[in-house]
Amino acid sequence: MTREEIIAEINAELAEEFEIDESAITPDAPIYQTLELDSLSLVDLIGIVQTKYGVLISKAELPNIKTFAQLYDYIEQHQK
Amino acid sequence: MNDVLIIGSGLGGLECGALLAKRGLKVLVLEGSNQPGGCMQSFRRGGLHYDTGLHYVGGLAPGQTMHNAFAELGLLDLPWQRMDEDFDHVIIGGRHFAFHQGYDAFVEGLGKDFPHQREALQSYANRLRNITFADMDVCAYDYLSQTFTDELLLNVVSAAAMKTELRRETLPLFNFAHTCSSYIESSWRLKGHGNQLVNKLVGTIEEAGGKVLTHSKVVSLTEKEGRIESATCANGHVYEAEFFISDIHPATLCTLLEGCPSVRKAFRRRMTMAENTCGMFTAQLCIKRGALRYFAHNVFIYDKPNVWTMTEENNPVKGVMISARVPEDGSDCLRQLDLLTPMPWHECSAWTQTTVGRRGEDYKKFCQRKAEQCIAMAEQYIPGLHEMVEQCYTSTPLTYRDYLGSPEGGAFGMRKDCRASLLSFHSVSTTLPNLLLTGQSIMLPGIEGVTMTAFETCSKITQDKARH
Repeated sequence: MTREEIIAEINAELAEEFEIDESAITPDAPIYQTLELDSLSLVDLIGIVQTKYGVLISKAELPNIKTFAQLYDYIEQHQK
Repeated sequence: MNDVLIIGSGLGGLECGALLAKRGLKVLVLEGSNQPGGCMQSFRRGGLHYDTGLHYVGGLAPGQTMHNAFAELGLLDLPWQRMDEDFDHVIIGGRHFAFHQGYDAFVEGLGKDFPHQREALQSYANRLRNITFADMDVCAYDYLSQTFTDELLLNVVSAAAMKTELRRETLPLFNFAHTCSSYIESSWRLKGHGNQLVNKLVGTIEEAGGKVLTHSKVVSLTEKEGRIESATCANGHVYEAEFFISDIHPATLCTLLEGCPSVRKAFRRRMTMAENTCGMFTAQLCIKRGALRYFAHNVFIYDKPNVWTMTEENNPVKGVMISARVPEDGSDCLRQLDLLTPMPWHECSAWTQTTVGRRGEDYKKFCQRKAEQCIAMAEQYIPGLHEMVEQCYTSTPLTYRDYLGSPEGGAFGMRKDCRASLLSFHSVSTTLPNLLLTGQSIMLPGIEGVTMTAFETCSKITQDKARH
């Protein structure tokens, strides 16, 4: 998948699953605040990325993903 | 109003109920079926009680893993009987091995059979005693392969772990170790039926003014201002509480939360898409009077050293656990013997649309054939067993699904995956601050795992109460 395809797909998916307006998702927006994630629902984000792309975000790498752009980068680099 | 409402009365639900009732909280437990206990319940056939999931418990002696927990729950008062010093026997390909109680005796015993692996056995025993949460990310099979160069020994040490789902790719060392370690400390059987455990916990709840209601299947939960406010039962009754604990399968809980705005689709999807563990087939035998002397150890028999791959190729049966019931009449001879073997859900595919008592003749024949295979395997240890059987009652994953509400009849709850521990191990907390989880799907299965989880669940409530 191209980066553009990933962005379109994951944005729609996250908006649907976390029940927010898709327009709130921009590359530089902070993931935690935008998706209203806490330490418990953060796991749901990891679950979606794994189910959709087979990409598992490890515990060690989790703190480095703070914006949507960083999430797109991670999926693009690790997708199978 | 109740302080705590618990949905489901399996071991975890009742343990939470008893712990919180003893701490002075008003507890209400709602059970959908006609009797409490879940996997701990017994059923009566031909004048004898048969257990569903209780076979033996580890670590009950003072200073050991389960002693303080069972003491606090009042369960140490039950008639536990210590098993033989050689508590688990393993037969693989006709060769006989034994696990001894106490880590030193365990290493010494197997060290005689595998002198070239004595250091590895010592290292293994040390590791079992020092398991940490970091071992959720360690693959049990990889760890064992790196520790033991002798493949037969790897299979031997894993053989008694039939009480969890042995799966090479996924089983975390954390789970494998908790399945094995407390039994090495010491192993115990309950004299009499498992309902004693259930009755004791129910009694503790009721003595403190709490209630356990059967025929009270919760069908929905209502949220108000970010908290669960009430539970509605199929019979129309509505119950309010300050805290709610779910002791049902998380996927089933999600169906109760459909009208709750704080529970987003992402959470429901994660819980409903998670894989379940395999089920078990059990042949529960009533043995003719005086035909078989009681033995205070378990026996695990495998055709060949394929302990870790057998589950998926177990048709016909290639491995069986034999568990004897302590005689209750003072006799030297036993009346009841359980034979267990893993049974994946796909073996039930022909009958998934059927209900209890209406599965047809082909199902009966299937169960009879499987029971005969189990008995034939068990004859490696008990020659002539077939002739000793007076009655045989069978259960399959369908039984677990229909009586206990376990999706796909999974015997050990939701599968844990060392490659994705963040996703497969669950917090007892949820995004709703007054809704907590407990039971075998959350962290660890088995009596030890469920009890540890119940303590964790209750600590969240007592911490919250202390803060406010």
